Amino acid sequence: MRRLLFIFMFSMPLLLQGQAIFDIPLSERTTGYDIAAVLDPDSKTVTGEMTAWWVNRSAMPVDHAMLHLYLNAFSSNKSSFAASGRWSPAGDEGYGYVRISRLMDASGNDLTRSMHFVAPDDGNINDRTVLQIDLTAPINPGDTLKLNMLFESKLPSPIVRTGYNKDYFWVAQWFPKFGVYEPAGMRQRESDGWNCHQFHPNSEFYANHSVYNVSVTIPSDYIAGSGGLLLEEMDNGDGTKKIKWRAEDIVDFAWTAWPGYKVVTDKWRGVDITFLTSERGLKIADNQVNAVKYGLEYLDARVGPYPWPHLTFVDPPVEGSGAGGMEYTTIFTSAGSGLVPSFLRMAEMVTIHEFGHAYFMGILASNEFEEPWLDEGVNSYWEERIVDHYYGDGYGLIRLPFIKFSDADMARTSYIGSPSRQAATNNLPSWLYPHGTYGMMSYQKAATWLHTLEGLITTETMDNVFREFYRKWAFRHPSGKDFIETVNDVVRREHGEKFGKDMNWFFDQVLYGTEVCDYRVSGVSNRKITGYSGIVDGDSVTFTRSDRKSDTLYLAKVGIERMGGMKLPIEVLVSFDNGDEILEEWDGTARFTDFEYPGTRKVTRVTIDPDSKIDLDVNRINNSWTDDPEFPASGRMMTKYVFLMQMLISLFTI
Amino acid sequence: MDYFRILKRGAVAAATSYRLILVMWLTALMMVLLVALPLKSILKGVFDRSLATERMLDGFDAGLAGDMGQSFGYLIGAASFGGLLLILAGFLLFTFFAGGLFTRFTIAWGDLNVASFMKASARNFLPFLMLALLMTLIIFAWTALIIGVPVGIVAAVTEGSIMGSRLMLIPFIIWALGMPVWLLVTDHSRRWMAATGSGKIFRAMGAGFKALRRGFLRSYSTMVTLFIVNVLFFGAALWIATFSVPERGGLIFLFFLATQALFILRLFLKAWRYATVSELALIQA
Ligand SMILES: [Zn+2]
Repeated sequence: MRRLLFIFMFSMPLLLQGQAIFDIPLSERTTGYDIAAVLDPDSKTVTGEMTAWWVNRSAMPVDHAMLHLYLNAFSSNKSSFAASGRWSPAGDEGYGYVRISRLMDASGNDLTRSMHFVAPDDGNINDRTVLQIDLTAPINPGDTLKLNMLFESKLPSPIVRTGYNKDYFWVAQWFPKFGVYEPAGMRQRESDGWNCHQFHPNSEFYANHSVYNVSVTIPSDYIAGSGGLLLEEMDNGDGTKKIKWRAEDIVDFAWTAWPGYKVVTDKWRGVDITFLTSERGLKIADNQVNAVKYGLEYLDARVGPYPWPHLTFVDPPVEGSGAGGMEYTTIFTSAGSGLVPSFLRMAEMVTIHEFGHAYFMGILASNEFEEPWLDEGVNSYWEERIVDHYYGDGYGLIRLPFIKFSDADMARTSYIGSPSRQAATNNLPSWLYPHGTYGMMSYQKAATWLHTLEGLITTETMDNVFREFYRKWAFRHPSGKDFIETVNDVVRREHGEKFGKDMNWFFDQVLYGTEVCDYRVSGVSNRKITGYSGIVDGDSVTFTRSDRKSDTLYLAKVGIERMGGMKLPIEVLVSFDNGDEILEEWDGTARFTDFEYPGTRKVTRVTIDPDSKIDLDVNRINNSWTDDPEFPASGRMMTKYVFLMQMLISLFTI
Repeated sequence: MDYFRILKRGAVAAATSYRLILVMWLTALMMVLLVALPLKSILKGVFDRSLATERMLDGFDAGLAGDMGQSFGYLIGAASFGGLLLILAGFLLFTFFAGGLFTRFTIAWGDLNVASFMKASARNFLPFLMLALLMTLIIFAWTALIIGVPVGIVAAVTEGSIMGSRLMLIPFIIWALGMPVWLLVTDHSRRWMAATGSGKIFRAMGAGFKALRRGFLRSYSTMVTLFIVNVLFFGAALWIATFSVPERGGLIFLFFLATQALFILRLFLKAWRYATVSELALIQA
């Protein structure tokens, strides 16, 4: 009987194949989840039954499984997540957890007693976010492990990435989920094993592309959205409704329910866009939807196609603001809910960023725990390109008559302005960044050196790097080394040996090193070349130069210095008083260099990196020199200040 | 046409006081320079011979703040704290000068040399200061009541929707209509103090309100005119100063002269208001 029941249950996914989204799977589909869940808005719980499967694609038998139990990060104040200070419960009601009350394998073996928690990252015995299940029999290569379980997920409050507030539910990282089993060689791994990290405040994702069949039962007056394609919505006749979704080839499944959602729909080529927002957020709905379309258009043209026919995004209301700025590939959240003044393109920036994760982590499913830069840094780099491309003429964040700010510069400012910018390399796992440097390093520094890489190898080559990266690694799990290899291949193909035999010298410095880049103009002199004058054999003599126009002959000399430890090739633009301009190239490896120009010209201006390619340069003020002492315009600024003060005084004096 | 005659007489009285206006301008300039010159040398220290200030020409590129590092914070801090001090000191200074100007427009009949101007300013200073503080407080309260409260309510009720922003025009109009009344009261009170030599500010305010009632339409329309001219001039002058970006030495000096001319004009407009109210009082007497 029980056996028959299981056969029926496991054949369900096959029955649903008729409703598949893609004729040919986009990924290997190593894992899959069929979940039937019920939301109880009073107890803030989601209870459900889940069948999860995992295919052993390694060459060796596997005798245990590892799963993420993310919600347990909120089960006590001693979890690694809560102990970091990032979250504390809103009263005792605020704790969250996920509990498995029954666990069976396909043969009907009860595995409930073979579950135990492990803490592979920090050994914290109070951290219950990674579950190990010892199997009764090993899973042989090619075989599938099927687990059937009953689980209860109590959502936490306040919302941090997941949770509830009043009647707002952001149900993310809510079900027991497989880690990634990595065979030797995958991501340069030496031996087979599970890659299943604890839930840390600074990273969320690393998962196989999966198939999801999810049904949820919620109160009828709630409006819901998810990362899946809506298959059907049925009224149960008892004040609840059941919604069925299917998602394919995404790395995580999240959903949300709230009675207050307003729904906006739109379309971009073949992609149905659903926007869930609040009454207040409705007034910027057009901006938000356009931001997503910009993201689709830009990445589709420069990286690769957006393959899913559906996409849902959410601008959480104020009570759900903790859910803002999250990414689950086909569902993601913006932030701001219409509260941020519209001249500041923050909402659009967040929308574009979280959308971008559909590519960087969604399609190119890197390991965010171990290499956050490859996820957040690469994605921030593209977000900045998109924001500065579509808004404000290169100044995407703010473009007002008196002030402007580009998105790329915001990242750069955060990096160059951090006192801890040299505290760590850019290649640490998310939870090991010291002194609060995680965000600055994995988002902003990484984005800044990616802009620099683009400056060096050209935008066209950079786009080709990502096209190649997508072509090779879409729906797989690339590592940082795999990315570098792609860069090396494409740069070699397009530029030959111009940058050396590979670009490793670049990554050794920016990714694996801690040095900063700073070049400066150390000095400029335009000295007259005079004839010889002195004492020869006791007589004072003067040899005039043969050149009759001796008073117009100069030796113009430009001194450049490398102040930082980082060595990058730079360009130096030298301008002369007769209008001539010379663009010098320097490999930037020595501590200094001098450019000399004998002749009738005087140097009037010098600019290192005139096209602002080297975003990594931590001080651009010392990159230029002018012979006009008044140019820096301190006089102009002082005049403006004096006048402003005079006017203010006259205004405030009646 | 009393209206034009009064405005004209006020303008003439103000224009013939050009020496006093120049004294006011010079004193104010020196005071502001006390803060501005050190700021300038800090700026020079930061930028030296760099071309980086090009990034300020077409609106301030906030990315430059990152390159400036800590000195950006110091500069902004010094400029704002210095600015606050300047506004406080300026308030005292111009309240002081108002005492001299009103004397010039009432009992001195247009003939007041700089030394007498200073003496008159000093004599009137304390009562003028008390009155200025009181009236400034009233105007702040008026602004908070008429603009602050409704804007707060509308913003809360409509959650900042488009309907709200149009509604908000109404309190602004009411506010603007009320402002000439407060200016008239202030100026009439000060004129009364200057004319009588009395330092009793509440009696002065009583006289101010009384003067307001007599020939209200005439004085109100005159003051509305002056108020509008002042507001327009203020906006235009700031606009010009904000968006002018002279790049080189000579032009920067010309720019400096132009802004100072604008400020002198601004002082003239103020003196014109004072003189016009004094003329109004004469007609009413
Ligand atoms: Zn992100």
